[in-house]
Amino acid sequence: MRTQLEQIKESALRELAQCGDLKALEALRVGYLGKKGQLTAILKQMGKLSAEERPVVGQIANEVRQALEAAIAEKQEALREKELNDRLEAERIDVTMPGKARKTGGLHPLNIVMNDLIDIFQSMGFDVVDGPEVETDYYLFEALNLPKDHPARDMQDTFYLGQDLLLRSQTSSAQIRVMEQRQPPIRIVCPGRVFRADEVDATHSPVFHQMEGLVVDKGITMCDLKGCLEQFVHEIYGPETQVRFRPSFFPFTEPSVEVDVTCAECGGKGCRVCKGTGWLEILGAGMVHPNVLAGCGIDPEVYSGFAFGVGIDRLTTTRYKISDIRLLFENDLRFLEQFR
Amino acid sequence: MKVSLNWLKRYVDIDVPVEELCSRMTMSGFEVEGVEDLSATMENVKVGRIIKIEKHPDADKLRVCQLDVGGEEPVQIITGADNVFEGALVPCALHKSKLPNGTHITKGKLRGLPSNGMLCSGEELCLKEADYPGAEVYGILILKDDCIPGMDMRDVLHLNDVVIDFSILSNRPDCNSVIGVAREVAVVLGKELKLPVPSYRTSGGNIADEIAITVEDYDLCPRYMGRVVKNLRIGPSPDWMKDCLRAGGMRPINNIVDITNFVMLETGHPMHAFNLNDIRGRQIIVRRAKEGEQITTLDGREHPLTPEMLVIADGEQPSCLAGIMGGLESEITAETTDLFLECAKFKRDNVRRTARALGMRTESSARFEKGVDTIGVEYAMERALQLIEELDAGDIVGGVIDRNDGLPAGRSLAVRPERISELLGVDVPHDEMVRILNALEIKTELRDGVLHCDIPYFRDDIEGRADLAEEVMRIYGYEHIVGTPMNGAVIRGRKLPERICGDKVKELLTAQGMREISTYSFITGKAPDLLGLAADDPRRQAVVLLNPLGEENSAMRTQLAFSMLTVLSTNLSRKNPAGRFFELSKVFVPKSLPLTEQPDEVPALCLGLYGAEEDFYTLKGIVEAVLALCGAEAEFVRSDEPYLHPGRQAKALCGGEAVVSFGEVHPAAAARFGISERVYLAELKLAPLYALMQAQKTVYKPLPKFPASARDLAVIADSELPIAEMEKAIRAGASGIVEKIELFDVYQGGQIPAGKKSVAYSILLRAADRTLTDEECDEAMKNILSSLEKIHVFLRQ
Repeated sequence: MRTQLEQIKESALRELAQCGDLKALEALRVGYLGKKGQLTAILKQMGKLSAEERPVVGQIANEVRQALEAAIAEKQEALREKELNDRLEAERIDVTMPGKARKTGGLHPLNIVMNDLIDIFQSMGFDVVDGPEVETDYYLFEALNLPKDHPARDMQDTFYLGQDLLLRSQTSSAQIRVMEQRQPPIRIVCPGRVFRADEVDATHSPVFHQMEGLVVDKGITMCDLKGCLEQFVHEIYGPETQVRFRPSFFPFTEPSVEVDVTCAECGGKGCRVCKGTGWLEILGAGMVHPNVLAGCGIDPEVYSGFAFGVGIDRLTTTRYKISDIRLLFENDLRFLEQFR
Repeated sequence: MKVSLNWLKRYVDIDVPVEELCSRMTMSGFEVEGVEDLSATMENVKVGRIIKIEKHPDADKLRVCQLDVGGEEPVQIITGADNVFEGALVPCALHKSKLPNGTHITKGKLRGLPSNGMLCSGEELCLKEADYPGAEVYGILILKDDCIPGMDMRDVLHLNDVVIDFSILSNRPDCNSVIGVAREVAVVLGKELKLPVPSYRTSGGNIADEIAITVEDYDLCPRYMGRVVKNLRIGPSPDWMKDCLRAGGMRPINNIVDITNFVMLETGHPMHAFNLNDIRGRQIIVRRAKEGEQITTLDGREHPLTPEMLVIADGEQPSCLAGIMGGLESEITAETTDLFLECAKFKRDNVRRTARALGMRTESSARFEKGVDTIGVEYAMERALQLIEELDAGDIVGGVIDRNDGLPAGRSLAVRPERISELLGVDVPHDEMVRILNALEIKTELRDGVLHCDIPYFRDDIEGRADLAEEVMRIYGYEHIVGTPMNGAVIRGRKLPERICGDKVKELLTAQGMREISTYSFITGKAPDLLGLAADDPRRQAVVLLNPLGEENSAMRTQLAFSMLTVLSTNLSRKNPAGRFFELSKVFVPKSLPLTEQPDEVPALCLGLYGAEEDFYTLKGIVEAVLALCGAEAEFVRSDEPYLHPGRQAKALCGGEAVVSFGEVHPAAAARFGISERVYLAELKLAPLYALMQAQKTVYKPLPKFPASARDLAVIADSELPIAEMEKAIRAGASGIVEKIELFDVYQGGQIPAGKKSVAYSILLRAADRTLTDEECDEAMKNILSSLEKIHVFLRQ
């Protein structure tokens, strides 16, 4: 019986060595260790052994069983690993083939830029407000220190809709509505759509976008205006960009300035983009005119403020180097898909 | 405002290069828009004297000239012109020269003989008779005797000048004049301004004997001055005056007209000269035109006049459009002997309206529209008379008629200098403020810590502290403004709820693969017809532009569908195979028409799709996603939007209100946009959805504790029965335990009888408080079936 056990062990280990897959291994396990397996069959004969022999053979049989179980388990592990490796090998694919992405959408480039500006100013404590696009003469002109027949009204050709009703030609009208409703401190931006009767060409559109900014509080100075705009410019154009004030005229601010930044293309050395000056004009700004404050019931002797207006379309075309503003309103998918 | 540098130098000592002048003027508020160097137009063209002329041996029409061009040796030049003669002074374009028309001249050979340049005609030098006498004569330009061989032609033609084009801001009408610009130049360069001091003698007599002046409408003409000059000696102006006028963009005509134009450019005050003998009744009446009157202006155009227009009339009829243009009848000609000279202030808005109404814009009207001052009228008149004497153009009659309704009094401002510094955030030294303001002719004294400023008559724009601050700062230099962080409490910027909602909707849509578009807010007035809207459709009530750029941009849109269809059409025509687009914008709904108050600006959303993978249900999926985002419980029912396919459109009702209509675009409507493919469109009202979104409160629901049972159900229904009805019946049949109804198949044809459809569902049953037993599930399915049977839906056998 001992010999039989030894033989079983030997033949089992021999077969095990040749066993190539998990299915054969299971058959092998059943063949030796199963209910009807060879080892089991032998153990069933244990009863025939003498009382002395029984524990000895029993121990051997147990050892054989343990040895086989261990060997099978080991083999099983090895085969599993091999099988996994084979599968992984078989599943090799060409990773350079294109991905099966579901197309993502995106915002219009004007709104991408607009949202960037909103984020910057909101983080600086500006409320983001909205104003009507159809305005009354009062909010668009009169309250902005532009009485009827003021020559500065000719600065912009406005679309008229009716007696004293027009399409706003600047977001500045929102300043008045805010100042009428709130008391200082005021810190708002008003992004939105504006309209001017400009014939369409590569750089002009009768529909375009602006963002108006307004700050009113005690002790606001022109240096605050510059500080505020510098923060904005550094976010948009990078921290090395410089800001320059150049005297200008707007009826609703005094003093008024054009704001230039060092040309991003040449870093201020002078190039074709900046017409050799090293500077690019990006917005108009100034200290809120005392007449405008007073007209809104804010005492100009106590409060001061600044306002600015940024052209979003120009910012968009320069950021993305879009050569023709008409592309923004054509909405060709191949154009839109370039912005994320 | 184009200004000659030489002209400026008559009043200011300019000792810096032109580039520096330009950059300093730009930084003080006078942006330079262009610089034209007149001398750059011509190079190496010299005066030559013809010493000898010989016939060319090999060409009958060519002459070989030997010229003295100031050098040691004569220069040989061959010409084809036949008006040259020995001793004549002519312009010679020498070897390597450049002409104003862009031609470069080099030496060469003509029929075998060397020619070292070219003799020039007036035309080749781009000259007119008024520029140089004889310039328009056919042939070589014969120069006057005062030229010396070897002289640079630029000196002969006074081309050694630079014309600078300054952009004049609209608050500085005083700088639409050379003196105004010179004043600024003087301040910027720290130089003295030297203005002409008018003086002249009269030849006696009294204007009162010559003419009477009445101003009827002082509201439109606050000041009117007249002088008379007799025995005119009309002739050409001197070169210096012609040069100034040309630099300013005006053509010299004769001494009298030139003087009025010169004074206008110099002082900013337009003047007008009448032929005294053409003034009927010898009286000038400044009045509004009468209905039915008309005038023929100097340019030969006839204009009907209305009572809003101010005219200068004589005893009988209008003879001048006030401030705009004179009448042809009283024009100054070479034969005119006596002159009435006008200098006045006309109200800018009236000049502007009249000029616009008549479609005229002159140097004069442009200045009146921008505003001229009342006091300066007198200086301009005096200056003109001084020039008349200087040019010996006539005899000045004594006396002046000055009609006005009271001249403006001088204004003063008192401001503490600290208040200026407070606004700027820069401590400008007080004595520096005083220096700058005085240099600008704002007479300023610092007394007891207060700046006392007398505002000069030509600076109406200076009203208060802020204006003085600007004057100080633009000269002191904006580079002194150093950015500072704003003071004040740290505050959080907030967005309006509508913007937050809109951003969420956009985020959802972009995640659905949609691209945002941006289109004009005004569209064609034909849009309702193109969409096929019914005659009484409220969307036909659009706000229209009174001055649109064109019909296609003439009406404020009441819907977004038109713009979306246009964009879909554009993309299809460009062969973009598929696209998903959205636009979130405002539509304009008038409260009444014609418009008397601001219209409602209503937020709307439009979706547009096309492509092989799109159909009604992909669009509906996006619509449902938007509604779900807003927390809107919607019921979908058939709708009747005229531009949508009658069988493939629906609207979603939320609380009874239709918030969306969507579907496949009607092929006939699509065709009107040039679209032959199937395209899908949805238009959503955002205001009610935003309201729902804001009211929405998300509260966590516990995850189910007990398992669900899934049962499949295949039924046969009438093919017209809406799926939504069946789902309602299923829920009704086993209320409380139907967790989810998933439609997985709809089939018609084959073994299914005609007029019927086979519908298959997977139904998920779950109770919140226990595990459902098989028996309970069977019971529920039985109830569901009997509920379905009520709408004639039966189990598929």
